[in-house]
Amino acid sequence: MIFSKVKGVLADEVLDLPTQCPSSRTPPPPSPVTVQPPASSPLDFEVRLGIAGKVVKRYSFLIGDPLMVGLSFGEKNFIKGGIAHDLRTDGRKRLTYRPIFVETGVIPQASGSARVKMGATDVIASVKAELGKPNPSHPDKGKVSIYVDCSPTAEPTFEGRGGEELSTELSSALQRCLLGGKSGAGAGIDLSSLSIVEGKVCWDLYIDGLVVSSDGNVLDALGAAIKAALSNTAIPKVQVAANASSDEQPEVDVSDEEFLQFDTSGVGRHYIVDATTEEESQMSSAISVSINRQGRICGLTKRGGAGLDPSVILDMISVGKHVSEQLINKLDSEIAAAEACDEDNEMDS
Amino acid sequence: MAGKASATPATYSPSPTGHRKKRPPTLTDSDWIRPDGRTVHQCRPAFLRTGAVNSASGSAYAEFGNTKVIVSVFGPRESKKAMMYSDTGRLNCNVSYTNFATPNRSQAPEPKDLSSMLHKALEGAIILKSFPKTTVDVFALVLESGGSDLPVITTCASLALADAGIMLYDMVASVSVSCYGKNLLIDPVSEEESYQDGSLLITCMPSRNEVTQMTVTGDWSTPKIHEAMQLCLDACSKLGKIMRTSLKESASCPHD
Repeated sequence: MIFSKVKGVLADEVLDLPTQCPSSRTPPPPSPVTVQPPASSPLDFEVRLGIAGKVVKRYSFLIGDPLMVGLSFGEKNFIKGGIAHDLRTDGRKRLTYRPIFVETGVIPQASGSARVKMGATDVIASVKAELGKPNPSHPDKGKVSIYVDCSPTAEPTFEGRGGEELSTELSSALQRCLLGGKSGAGAGIDLSSLSIVEGKVCWDLYIDGLVVSSDGNVLDALGAAIKAALSNTAIPKVQVAANASSDEQPEVDVSDEEFLQFDTSGVGRHYIVDATTEEESQMSSAISVSINRQGRICGLTKRGGAGLDPSVILDMISVGKHVSEQLINKLDSEIAAAEACDEDNEMDS
Repeated sequence: MAGKASATPATYSPSPTGHRKKRPPTLTDSDWIRPDGRTVHQCRPAFLRTGAVNSASGSAYAEFGNTKVIVSVFGPRESKKAMMYSDTGRLNCNVSYTNFATPNRSQAPEPKDLSSMLHKALEGAIILKSFPKTTVDVFALVLESGGSDLPVITTCASLALADAGIMLYDMVASVSVSCYGKNLLIDPVSEEESYQDGSLLITCMPSRNEVTQMTVTGDWSTPKIHEAMQLCLDACSKLGKIMRTSLKESASCPHD
């Protein structure tokens, strides 16, 4: 909030200041302020506070908290009007995603990893497999844990405990869609494929997400990154012999069931997908639906905000289903391309 | 405490009309006996009472079967000094479990996750503009966890907010449904929850017919979601009536 206020006040000051400081005035403030002109879109401008021209800090805004995004009345109307006319500020239609870039195998220490960029949103997901003991209540299943870390490099407000709330929100939303019900039905990852010796040893999969930069729709980006990381994951095949000498055999891929995180945000009476930070600040409520390849819903979370009519929710689900078909195909081809590229690199080195 | 249950209608099971016909005649579906002897679309008896804590601005106690929850609401009071200025009020939610709430001491679910879910469920119902610059604290304590904890916490918290005189668009009622194969079980107990294939939770404002929070886990088809939503919304509107009656009761004969 302070940041946005700074922006408003300083921007006005700049406009009011005469181009040459009259000598009668008090000396100019030590931090001259420059307002970057809008580069790509009229909304995408930033405030730079500099000392002697050197950029000290760039302030961007916390996602998910409408109060933090400092938008003027005109900008808000511009976003809303654009959405009503099916032409958003970056030229997209309501149901168009930003281009997705996928890179796999980015973390050598992990069993599988991927980096996904959607516009200015940038996330990394890594999968690590460790041997562990299965849960006594599910002896024939492995364990999967999902954590998301919001790095202060993405937002200054994520520092310390600031990102904690968003981290828990993202982690629990991902857990909900990836791990399915308590009995393991409808899970994105087949937990029984992680079992090695029933009741004794199993694989523990640790899925870690890292938000490197956030410009809206972090949940979808994380979902895509985890999907890519899982398809990139290879864990050693373990054979247990009678004399208990475990033997590392050729690698076997963890089956990655198809799942897709999918986001529909409602601004006014229209639904949009893949909202940027500015658009997220204007939406009244949002629903994240994850849909698998069979077109079945395997997870849904409403992200706070105002109440919605039940029929609107059902409508949003059907919109989500419609768009997800294209997105799944697009993501598949991106992952395949990234894997091919990754293999080429390995061959070269 | 349950012994004092008064004239409040105690059950909020959705009306059976329509559901019975829709359900496939497979399995022993219609005479499925649940651990506590209920039928599939029968809810646990609900006991709600306001004014459980004297020092709080508002409080409520809820007992749904074995799930026992107490919620106190403090405020609106001045936001912490470190907080930035805000022209709308803030809502702070905190859910905690007692050590003896669950059979195993360390089994309690992640309270941070529940707190954020409670926050999301309530924020859409509170008129935050009515108390600028201040914070309302909602503290929920689960005394005994007997399944469907979050719906009970949310319902109880909404009643406590109403008791504290916080401006609300409507009270929120919350109900969850568990899915087993083709069957839907309303208001599951912990035992049922640990074997469920999927679950659906709805928090809604019954008079406005608006959903403030909804989560789905597991694998669902659209018609199934539709059926489960109808079931939940029906139960929510009945639960809303129970909440209203219990508020009216406490207003007409205040506790000593």
